[in-house]
Formats: sequence, C-alpha cells, structure tokens
Amino acid sequence: MLRMLSPRFMADHLWAQRRLSDYLDGELGTVQAARVERHVHRCPRCRQFLATLRRTVEGLSTLAPEPAPAGLADGVVERLPGPPWAP
Amino acid sequence: MTPRATPSATRVGSEDEALVARAQRGDRAAFEALVRRYAERLYAVILRFVGTSHEAEEITQEAFLRAWRALPRFEARAQFFTWLYRIGINEAKRHAGRGPPVEPLSIEQSRLEDAPDMTDDPGRRAAARDLRVELERAVRALPWDYRAALILRDIEGLPTRAAAEVLDLGEAAFKSRLHRARMRVRKQVEAYLGEDAPR
Repeated sequence: MLRMLSPRFMADHLWAQRRLSDYLDGELGTVQAARVERHVHRCPRCRQFLATLRRTVEGLSTLAPEPAPAGLADGVVERLPGPPWAP
Repeated sequence: MTPRATPSATRVGSEDEALVARAQRGDRAAFEALVRRYAERLYAVILRFVGTSHEAEEITQEAFLRAWRALPRFEARAQFFTWLYRIGINEAKRHAGRGPPVEPLSIEQSRLEDAPDMTDDPGRRAAARDLRVELERAVRALPWDYRAALILRDIEGLPTRAAAEVLDLGEAAFKSRLHRARMRVRKQVEAYLGEDAPR
C-alpha cells in the first residue's frame, strides 16, 4: 500500500513508472535520474517493480541465439546473381 | 561474431563502409564478405519472428538478395547492419502475413543450456533455465511491433539509436514501444524472477 497518497507523491509515482526503462538504460539526465531514485527510495512498490524489471531485462540479455544451420552464408552466396546494376 | 559480441563499433563500421563501397562498384566478393559477417546474426533475429528454422533460413537468404539488389540506393550515412536488419525484419513481417499462423519453434530446441550461468548451484541453474523458457515464451507472445523493439534492444543488444533506426522510428517512439514490451514480458515472467518477486 502506498505510504502517502499525497498528490505530489502520486504525481512522482506515475512520472517515475513511465521512466523506469529509461532509468535502467541510463538514458535519463542527471536531474531526472535523481528524481526516479528519490521516488524509488520512498516507494516500496516502485522499488520492487524496478527490481523485477531489471531482472527481466537482464534475463533477456542471456537468451542464447539458435545456432544457424551449417552452410547458411554459403547458401546466400550461391544465390547471388551478378550485380544487377552493372553495365 | 556472436550476437552480443561487441568489437569496436567504429572499426566494424569503417570496415563495413569499405566493403559496401566496393560492393556498390560491383565487387561481388565484397558483398560476400558482408554476407559471411552478418548471416548468422540476421538469421538469429529473424528466427525470433517466424516459426521454423527453415523459414528463417529462406527469409535470411531473401533479405540478403534484396540488400544486394538495393545496394546502389544504400547511403553511407546509415550503418549497413541496421539497414540489413530492417530489410530482414520487413521480410519476416511480409512472410508472416502470407500464410496461416505457424506454431512457434519449440522452446526446448533453444540452446537454454548454453546461456551463461554464474553459479554452481543446481537449484539456481534450474531456476535460471526456467526463467529463460518463460522469457522465450513471453517474447513470442508479444505483438509484432513490441517484439521487434525488445528483440533488437534487449536480446540483440543494439543501442537505442540503432534499434530505433532499424524500425524507422524516432527514439522517443521506440523507447515507448520498448517500455511497453518490457512491461508485458515482466508481467508474464514475474513468478520466475526470483525469491522476492511477486507471486
């Protein structure tokens, strides 16, 4: 449950929620990042949300690619015609 | 080069530039070098949009053929690989619109065991593997536009600007799409995110 439902707190809450991805990616300016951090420090819900979002993004970065079939590049090269724009 | 290996972007960019310039003058061998450099990476991205490895292979080939034919129109101000990715993703989308929905590739066929696990604890390794399975499912369940943003940024590791360029979006629009995609995936996998994740 949110500790305080003051309009200012709710405004910060909604504002921070929309920027959590940018914050995770380090794409907020110093002032905006600090605002997110101040709110997250005061809001258990956002703190939890940020933690799970971070783990989600970290997990996505570990998804291994499927190995390409052998001869993939060779198959492309074999199909290449001569340059269609050559005189 | 693995999808997330990051040799110096500047060096790769200037090497690509030289190869593209030669290929634009009709040097087929130069384009072949680009094919060998990016085929596996493009295949890996396309596979996340289609149902089978066979389709992904066909679409990858088609994407390179399109790139080859369109090469004279490619402008050096763009990065070659972002342009190639755009062709590949558009080709996958076009292909997806042609036929009936295809069953997604079995998650078990993915190389789940090959992902980096920084622990010797079997329980934690199993939990990490379960999370990866659910993440794969969640990504495949995303609407196309959200999936593309998330794949490019969070799985392929492209910088925001490059990923936005692939999708022909402004950065703000791309970030909005990415955030929504992440929210959906987070919601779907939150039970697998760890001890203190919401149940």
